[in-house]
Order: sequence, then C-alpha cells, then structure tokens
Amino acid sequence: MRVSAALPTGVAALLFESARRRRDAEDRLVAHLRKAGYSEVILPILDYLEPYESLLTPASRGELYRFVDRDGELLALRADFTPMLARLLAPRLDSLALPLRFYYRGDVVRYQEERAGRAREFYQLGAELLGLPGEAAEQEVLRLFLELATAAGGGDLQVVLGFAGALDQLLLTADAADPAALAAAVARRERGEVRRACPRLLSVVENGLPDRPEDLGPEAAGRLQSLLALRDELALAFPQARLTIDLAEFACNSLDSRLSVAEGERPYYDGVVFHAYAGPAALPVGGGGRYDRLFRSLGAEVPAVGFAISLERLLEAKAGEVRP
Amino acid sequence: MIRMALPKGRNLETALAAFRAAGIELEGAEGTGRNGRSLIWRLPEEGIEILSLKDWDLPLYVGHGIADCGVVGSDVLEEVDGDLLVPVRLLAGRSRMSLIGREAALPAAGTQVRLATKYPNTARRIVAGRPWGAEILKLSGSIELAPALHLAELALDIVQTGRTLAENHLVEIETVAEVAACLVVNRASYQRHRARLNDWIGRLEAAEVVS
Repeated sequence: MRVSAALPTGVAALLFESARRRRDAEDRLVAHLRKAGYSEVILPILDYLEPYESLLTPASRGELYRFVDRDGELLALRADFTPMLARLLAPRLDSLALPLRFYYRGDVVRYQEERAGRAREFYQLGAELLGLPGEAAEQEVLRLFLELATAAGGGDLQVVLGFAGALDQLLLTADAADPAALAAAVARRERGEVRRACPRLLSVVENGLPDRPEDLGPEAAGRLQSLLALRDELALAFPQARLTIDLAEFACNSLDSRLSVAEGERPYYDGVVFHAYAGPAALPVGGGGRYDRLFRSLGAEVPAVGFAISLERLLEAKAGEVRP
Repeated sequence: MIRMALPKGRNLETALAAFRAAGIELEGAEGTGRNGRSLIWRLPEEGIEILSLKDWDLPLYVGHGIADCGVVGSDVLEEVDGDLLVPVRLLAGRSRMSLIGREAALPAAGTQVRLATKYPNTARRIVAGRPWGAEILKLSGSIELAPALHLAELALDIVQTGRTLAENHLVEIETVAEVAACLVVNRASYQRHRARLNDWIGRLEAAEVVS
C-alpha cells in the first residue's frame, strides 16, 4: 500500500535544501543575538489557557488551538511567545538581575482561514529586553531588529514605525458613533468614512502623519517628536532600509478601552510599535514594540521592549526579490 | 511598475470608466493594451501592468502582493476579509445586498429557516443579530431559484434592478448593505507606492467618481 504524503492545511515540512536554508539563516541570526549579549530561553509548545484569558481578543481567541487534556485541564498550543515569557517572568522579576536580554526561537501555531500563504504553523525568532528604562531600550531593540533583518533579508526592507495611542485623542473627539469602527476605518485608509467623521485625520490616512502634530494632544505630539528623532538617527545608521512613520498603520493600537478593537495587532503594545516589510511580500516579515502593560496586567512593573521575526517570510522575500 | 488587478464582469466597465474620468486610461492603445482574451496587459508609458481576474480571486492576488492594488465589489471583499486597504469606493454601478423571499416578511422570532446564498460568511454575521435562526446553504449561482423552488425560505443576494426577482415572483424583504466597487490596496504596496496611489486617489476624488 502506498501512503499519502499529504499534510494538514497550513503546515509544511522543510526537506533537505529548504531546511538547510532556514537553519543557515537561523544560525547567523542566533550568532548575532549572542554577540549582542542576548541569551536563549526555550519555552514549551503546550501551556494552560487560563493565564491568558484576560489578554485574548475575539480575533486572537479564534486563532488558538485549544483542547482539554486527559486530566481535564484546558490547554492551548503556543500561538505567541511574548505573553508566555511575560507570565513566566513576572512572578520571578524580583529575584532576577535587570536588565534582562534574551531571545527565543520556535514554532507558533495559529488557526488561519484556508488561504494560500497563510501558514498555520510558522517559525519565529525573537528577542526581548526587560528592565532598561526610557528610550534607550527602544533604540537598542530597533537597532538589533534592523541589524538582523538586513543581515538575513538583503535589500528592500521597509520599516513602518508608530506608537500605541497616537491617534486616541483625534479618534475620541471625532464625530463618530463608534470610535473603534473609525479606528478600523483609519487603519484601512477608508477616506470617505474618515472625511465624514474627522477631516483632521485625512492627512494621517494619506501620509501617515497629521498636518499639525498638536492635533494629537500634547503627550502624543511630544512622543511623535521623539519618534521622528529616533527614525532620523536609525535612517542614518541603516541607509539600506527605508524607515517611515505611519500612524494610520497602527490606528487600532490604542491605549483607551473605548477604542479596543477585535482585529489587527497583538493587543499588548503600549509604546513604540513597528512592522517591517521586505521584497514584494505582502505580510510583515517581523515587528515588535514596547509592551509594559502586558507585565502590568500580570502584576509586575518593568519596562519591556521586543520583536519577532518570521524567518520563513524573510527568506521568501529574499528569494522573490524580483517579482515575476 | 505598479500592478493592478481588474475584475472580469460587471465591475470592469465601471472601473475603466472611473479611471478614465480621472485621466488614467487603463485599456491601453489599440494593439498594445487590452484585447478580448489577454489576461495581462502592460501600459509601459504609464508604468502600469494590468491583470484580469475573477472577482473572487482578486482579493487573494492583492492580499499576497502579486497585484499592488485592484478593484473589487464590497460584497466579495466583506466575504473574504483579506486585510486590504480600501481607500475609496466607486460611485457608479452600485447595487444592494438584500434578503429575498417569496413573501414580504422576515421569519417570525424563534423560527428556524433555510437561507441560500453565495456569501455564507456575510450571511452568518447577519443571522447572528436576528431573533430567528437560519441554516446557511452555499450556492454558486442562480440564487433566486432557491426560494422560488422552495429549497430555502430566504436568499441573500445582490439586487440591481429587481427585475429577476419580479420574474421569479420573489420580493426584496430587506436591504442589508449597499454594494460598491472598491479600490483595494495591499498594505505593503501602499508603503512602497504611496505617492503614486495617493495621486490616483486624488484624481478619482477630483473627478467625483468615488466616495
């Protein structure tokens, strides 16, 4: 009898050359991370569901593979490294020497509708920096991310920067019955909807930035100034990458509960947030940001910044640099 | 070079006319541009390449960045949810998505019916907010036949003039959404071709062919 070599939807086996390619890229990135002073953590693929209940949005809940174990415990397959790391470290922070620099690698599993190219199991490599206060942490993590992504992906890297809550004031004072729906319309750049509700958001939809930064409110305007300075500094250091600030891209990354929406981002970012696109690939090859509030929700106060890279997408982007 | 996907079928002429009004000719000069069978045509002077795709495949091509942008009906877009940008909706050729039946009334609260449609995801979302329940039957075409021949009590489908309904002794019970051809853009492509795309969008707005 001949057995079938078919695999379930959304998963892949890497054989021979494709396995070698991925391991080679992984080895280079891991060597770089170690040299930068980051040490490895290895996490389980299975975990309880209960500690994450309060962190889940309807969208991220829908992505989980969960099941009841033989002893009746509700378990889930790992869908994201960062919350698991936060949960394991939050109760231990008092006894650990800060700052902590560490990296992880492994598969995450997320249910995605059956559509080609949306894998259900994908390999992530990421790094986190805990306990370094202020902008220094964001700067260090973004530099590290850019070093890794440019080393692994070659040219044509486009990094889009923003920060959580940037548009909150504009969205909440707009003439919209549902400010969360308006945030989603900004993120989709629906001009008709945005023009009706808040014409001042139109320039954000078009160019990523408001005509008058003070429209964002004093705090967000100040943060935008520092982000512009950080962008300019990084652009000088990484001339091969294009760095843009686009607040519309992160319109759903809010700090206000009235704006919390089901779709889009991992919901825990509360400071600088970024995505990177490479080659002609349509999905981000990596991204990250500041997530102090994730630790706060777990009862710990610590500054936390990190990123994850989807190694397969980055390698695909490199292979497909010239579009057919 | 920017690659644009255009739909076959009724939205094609709407899209071509809207872009023409904005001063962007997508058909190309005779002999170089579109002819009856070509699936790809290039407009080298404009720096545009056009792909001709079925409506249902178009969001996938744009979602994957094979095409940078495209024009597709909001009915299809709502159904497939491809995380695309939707900067503007074309004004011409609008229709509506409606609940259709043999009688002019929705099912009574607490009853369970069958609903035939090409749009099962949209139908599920609509039914979730109703006091009645429905088993969704996914069909590929001639949706009106389902309620007409008692395969289902209700249908969810696009209504343009209502003539097909009248001919099959059906009534439009409730309009659930306006349907428009939408300009859709891939997220990564928007970052790469922002100036060009914003210029097109500005010209479409100035020509008053979009909302």
